[in-house]
Amino acid sequence: MRSVYAKELYIYFSSPIFYVVAGIFLCITGIFFYNNMVYVSLLASQIAQYQISTGISLNDILLRPLFADMSLLILFLIPIISMRLYAEERAQGTIELLFTYPLSDLQILAAKYLAGLTVLVVIGACTLVLMVLISLITSADWGLIISSYLGLLLMVSAFLALGVFASSLTRNQIVAASISLGLILGFWAIGWFANTINTGPIATFLKEISLLGHLGSFLKGMVTLKDIAFYFCFTLFFLFLTLRILERRTWRG
Amino acid sequence: MITIDSLTKAYGRTIAIQDISFEVKRGEVLGFLGPNGAGKTTTMKIITSFMPPTSGVVTVMGYDTVKESIKARRCIGYLPENTPLYHDMRTTSFLRFVAKAKGIKRSKISSCMERVIFECGLEEVRSAVIRTLSKGYKQRLGLAQALISDPPVLVLDEPTMGLDPKQIYEIRQLIKDLASSRTIILSSHILPEVSQVCDKVAIINKGRIVAIDSTSSLQRGLQDNARIVLKVKDNLDETMQIINSVEGVLSVSSSNSCVLNVETIKDIDLRPELARRVVEAGIDLYEISRKDMSLEEVFMELVTEEITPDA
Repeated sequence: MRSVYAKELYIYFSSPIFYVVAGIFLCITGIFFYNNMVYVSLLASQIAQYQISTGISLNDILLRPLFADMSLLILFLIPIISMRLYAEERAQGTIELLFTYPLSDLQILAAKYLAGLTVLVVIGACTLVLMVLISLITSADWGLIISSYLGLLLMVSAFLALGVFASSLTRNQIVAASISLGLILGFWAIGWFANTINTGPIATFLKEISLLGHLGSFLKGMVTLKDIAFYFCFTLFFLFLTLRILERRTWRG
Repeated sequence: MITIDSLTKAYGRTIAIQDISFEVKRGEVLGFLGPNGAGKTTTMKIITSFMPPTSGVVTVMGYDTVKESIKARRCIGYLPENTPLYHDMRTTSFLRFVAKAKGIKRSKISSCMERVIFECGLEEVRSAVIRTLSKGYKQRLGLAQALISDPPVLVLDEPTMGLDPKQIYEIRQLIKDLASSRTIILSSHILPEVSQVCDKVAIINKGRIVAIDSTSSLQRGLQDNARIVLKVKDNLDETMQIINSVEGVLSVSSSNSCVLNVETIKDIDLRPELARRVVEAGIDLYEISRKDMSLEEVFMELVTEEITPDA
């Protein structure tokens, strides 16, 4: 399993995909961060000038919007990282090598999934620089920061499982990326839909399966077992589905 | 070391191979022949556990390829058709990955890598990116990944496709060298190659085995009549008369002024008799030899024979 993990990372870091995706993500996050900081300093100067107490905390105007923006950006990142995992092997025919080496389907899946997750975590870890910057100018709320990162990690894990699943369906990487982006945006839209319906059991159900809804409590600094369990189950469900697909594909040839 | 027992594979309604059974023993090289789409690659994919059969059983070194798939896969080195490789990797990093994936012990990885790099002549391209390699080097690298764990069974799907004559010769030599202690199945379109490298040939057409035998007996066994070629100095007409009078001769024809093609009945070898009669008549005899069918002719005969009843 370690061999496949190492191979996947080798391919990620030797191809331009990683650098392009990471570069774009970090640039845009940086722009959001700068924007928020400008707003914060504007507000701070006004507060100083008029001596008013607003009750607004830094968490509300800086950290929460920043993490919310990041979570949105990541939605677009995941399909690009996950699309090649199986589709590329199918297209290049290397799947015939991989599936005839003495490795089980589960070992290969686990290695590929963890490699994708590693890449996303590396990209995400770069944003820690911003948190260090914040802590240099004011006293940062590290509890909130940690719970937000945990929430993002769990959300990324869940969406990556979905992306791997999409990649196992096809030999075309663009199709794989489109399917996973479509499904991810679908789960995102469900949350909006739930808000429109507002009440009733259907609304509750929709709220519960919307992925961003569960992220919300992490971004408020709340770590609940329910949300963790949700992401965990979501991840396992799609990884299980992927295994099934791979099995079926080999049966049919 | 490979046994295939009544193997059938269907893709939906299309039947790719039907009720194939054969066996390849240790140290044997089996050539797998057949027109495109006959089921060669499908059979190889089943032997290597890439996909399971619809029915039937394949065992490799005694391991069932479905039930004990991982153990069976450990015994096999497989070169798939068109030689798929990870184009973004470098030669050595790819071979290291393969060695690890095949479960070679950490301490032995470098020595195994050096061995296949030497055997397959990859020294010059050891740090090159695979994408940039020539077709010949890619093919050799494909062979190297199959050989790296020194497996007792090799399955090679068209190992010399796309190579130049010198490379074909080298790969062929390599396969011959490997053959002594291993069981090898290889498919090929190049028939002279098969007759040179393989001890045994299986011809498959439309998903069925139409012939399986040693190369030489296949070439002899399929002929209805035996063929003898004589080369004489002159007196062609007289020679023809003499030959025609020999019992067992069916027909005589001459292709040019001094070569005679003689068709005789299959069961007896008429060469000594013919030689004696020609020499006794005072004719100078340069050459006399038996001519077997080439593997091409055997192949065409078997494959066309199968097609006719359907048409």
